[in-house]
Amino acid sequence: MNQTANLFGGKSKRDSRARAVFLRRNGPIIMVYAFILLLVIIGITQSERFFTERNLTNVARQSAFLGIVALGQMLVILTAGIDLSVGSLVKVSILVSAIVMNGESGNVLPAIIATLGLGVLVGLIHGFLINELRIAPFIVTLASLVILRGIGLTISSSPVGKASREVMMFYVQKIGPIPVIAWMFFVLIVLTMLLLRYTVFGKYLFAVGGNIEVARLSGVPIKAVRYGVYVLCSLTAAVTGLLWLSRMGVGDPAIGDGIELQTITAVIIGGTSLFGGRASVLGTLGGVLLLGITANLLVMLGVNQFIQGLIQGVIIVAAVALYKQEGD
Amino acid sequence: MSEYILEMRNISKSFAGVQALKEVSIRCKPGLVYGLVGENGAGKSTLMKILAGAYRADAGEIVYKGAIRDQASTAEIIDSGISIIYQELALVRQMSVAENIFLGREPRNRLGILNLGELYDRAGELLKRLGIRLNLRLPVSELTIAQQQLVEIAKALSQNADLIVMDEPSAILAGSELDQLFRIIESLKLQGVTVIYISHRLEEVFRIADEVTILKDGELVATRPIGELDRATLVEFMVGRPLDEVFPQTEHEQGELVLVAEDVSTDTILAGVSLELYAGEILGIAGMVGSGRTELARALFGADPLTGGSIKLAGGGEARWGSPAQAINAGLALVPEDRKTHGLFTALSVRINVTIPILSSLTRLGVLKRAAEEAVVRGAQERLSIVMSSSDQETQFLSGGNQQKVVLAKWLSTDPAVIILDEPTRGVDVGAKFEIYKLMRQLNDRGIAIVMISSELPEIIGMSDRILVMNDGRIAGELAREEAGEARIIELATMGGSEAALT
Repeated sequence: MNQTANLFGGKSKRDSRARAVFLRRNGPIIMVYAFILLLVIIGITQSERFFTERNLTNVARQSAFLGIVALGQMLVILTAGIDLSVGSLVKVSILVSAIVMNGESGNVLPAIIATLGLGVLVGLIHGFLINELRIAPFIVTLASLVILRGIGLTISSSPVGKASREVMMFYVQKIGPIPVIAWMFFVLIVLTMLLLRYTVFGKYLFAVGGNIEVARLSGVPIKAVRYGVYVLCSLTAAVTGLLWLSRMGVGDPAIGDGIELQTITAVIIGGTSLFGGRASVLGTLGGVLLLGITANLLVMLGVNQFIQGLIQGVIIVAAVALYKQEGD
Repeated sequence: MSEYILEMRNISKSFAGVQALKEVSIRCKPGLVYGLVGENGAGKSTLMKILAGAYRADAGEIVYKGAIRDQASTAEIIDSGISIIYQELALVRQMSVAENIFLGREPRNRLGILNLGELYDRAGELLKRLGIRLNLRLPVSELTIAQQQLVEIAKALSQNADLIVMDEPSAILAGSELDQLFRIIESLKLQGVTVIYISHRLEEVFRIADEVTILKDGELVATRPIGELDRATLVEFMVGRPLDEVFPQTEHEQGELVLVAEDVSTDTILAGVSLELYAGEILGIAGMVGSGRTELARALFGADPLTGGSIKLAGGGEARWGSPAQAINAGLALVPEDRKTHGLFTALSVRINVTIPILSSLTRLGVLKRAAEEAVVRGAQERLSIVMSSSDQETQFLSGGNQQKVVLAKWLSTDPAVIILDEPTRGVDVGAKFEIYKLMRQLNDRGIAIVMISSELPEIIGMSDRILVMNDGRIAGELAREEAGEARIIELATMGGSEAALT
């Protein structure tokens, strides 16, 4: 026994260290996915309707709706910022796109351009206020949450406009067994991973979030990075507004409320630090799926919707508490 | 009760499979000062964190005041008379000096309401007794780092400790503040307080310690009364080999003028600083903490805006810069004083830390070339012999010396013409220090001009070709290497403001 320990001492020491590093970096993600697996098992055993193509397609689509914005939110949080306005922006986006489109196929392109343009504009305004007037991201986007919601409800308090036929069809289209919207989410996940790993902008996001003063002293163009990241995040909200139009068929002003908190929740569950400098795309995906499947499962099991909120809250606290233990 | 106030017996501790301490024992008698030395990563801080209860030892026992001490909370340990002043300052920046000193032990009246009057009275008395002059009501964020360190010391002393551990207290103290610290330690000794003094600066250990314990790679090398040690043996114990010369010398002639600063003033403290910098030289900047040395470095690098004067590259015509990004493009580099807040992304990988200033040059069609990134890191690793497990390793897990090498590597990657080094060897162990000196000479040989700010006079005198002494935001005088002595530098650095202005 003793001899074996000596013979392999060096190797096992290195292994255990590598394992410790691996666990520290990936522990949260592993835990989130283990929890998702658990939920799926509960779903399969406890509900006949859970593991059906129809239900899983729904879960995939709903996850994509939340997930696309969560990716943008994650990038902002990576820079130690936050974007509270995404929910309100989704609301204004569905209204603007529905009104511009007005049910006409010929207006689809103008509607998309107008909506994405709105996203860029909102992102630039956020960047301006944060960079040039040095207002904290929390305050800037909190104001923007209130203002955009106000604008949305001023535009209309009842459904307006109309999606064109193609846009409504888009919602149900599939490639293989998987909805196109879920594919879109998948592509954006891959793009975000590539962005973080293989682009200068991606590295700059880590730098700004890691330590903004060090980033400045290292020549990182901080302002450009922040303009960029807030525009990207607002764009994900604008895109999601368009997707909601394709689902609802009309500009429904009830859409969008609470998305900001859901995305932040998903990002945090995924192990991204609110203090910046650390982010995980797979973790965020895990957070999105965990929220999506929990909500779905609770409905399947016929749990009171008010208790759903309570259960989600418990999940957040439990997840974050677990990472803290793992981190030590 | 035994004659020892503290015995730590056969303490072992490992982290994630890495043995940080291996059966280390130390014993301390009341009223003596114990030097604890060793290179970074030798295990000094770990040993003290075990004493403080921040870590739990894997094996071994602690006997304190004659009784075996079980795991206890930080508060219990402080109550038992052990006080630790950490290297990292643990002050609440928004709170005042006095509030920080009595944080968690604020005087209250019968209703449990804070008695601010008594708080300030007691803090005032304490500082007066210690001979520290500070405005008690100033928020700590307004103080210089050295002043903050003094507050930290006052805080530890206010706890009426029997055993005080000072983890590199001198790392950011210089000159008169250091003398002040030593006076405080002497008076503590007289009161029967035991002091464990951790330091990289061997002169201080010789000046203050009664007995020295040397650690290397987590193991105890030797414990000796100070009288039985000389500098060379101590260094040999620490690095495991003799160090022939401390300051490597090269002969070279003054090169061409590369940078001119004229009448530079800032909002911070600089009031009309002019200097010229020549290729291949080391220009030493000496002066007390707070004399404007760091501010000068920041101004030269474009980190603080100028309110007056100009900084220009010679030869390059009218190249000017208003931001670090532009300064970097113009060929400047700044290795800042405070590595952890200004130099490194501590939670990010070595790779991004080294490549951040040149990332855009490592792309093809906007895509980063991972191989090129790795090549830069590998090159730096070989050139500076950085010890790391992989380029993915987070820099917070490197030793101080290796962290500093990563910061140096980052700036060497930009191929600068001028490198500003602000306290390049602070918190760096003897071995790594020598490597940094050698590197500076190599850079000189390649024609790179170096501005070196340092609180360590031997380093300033040993390394600089010319020395500028700063005082109150101005240049108090320039000394050639031959005429520079510690006494002359201190004289210039401590002259009254009006005299300084005349020179």
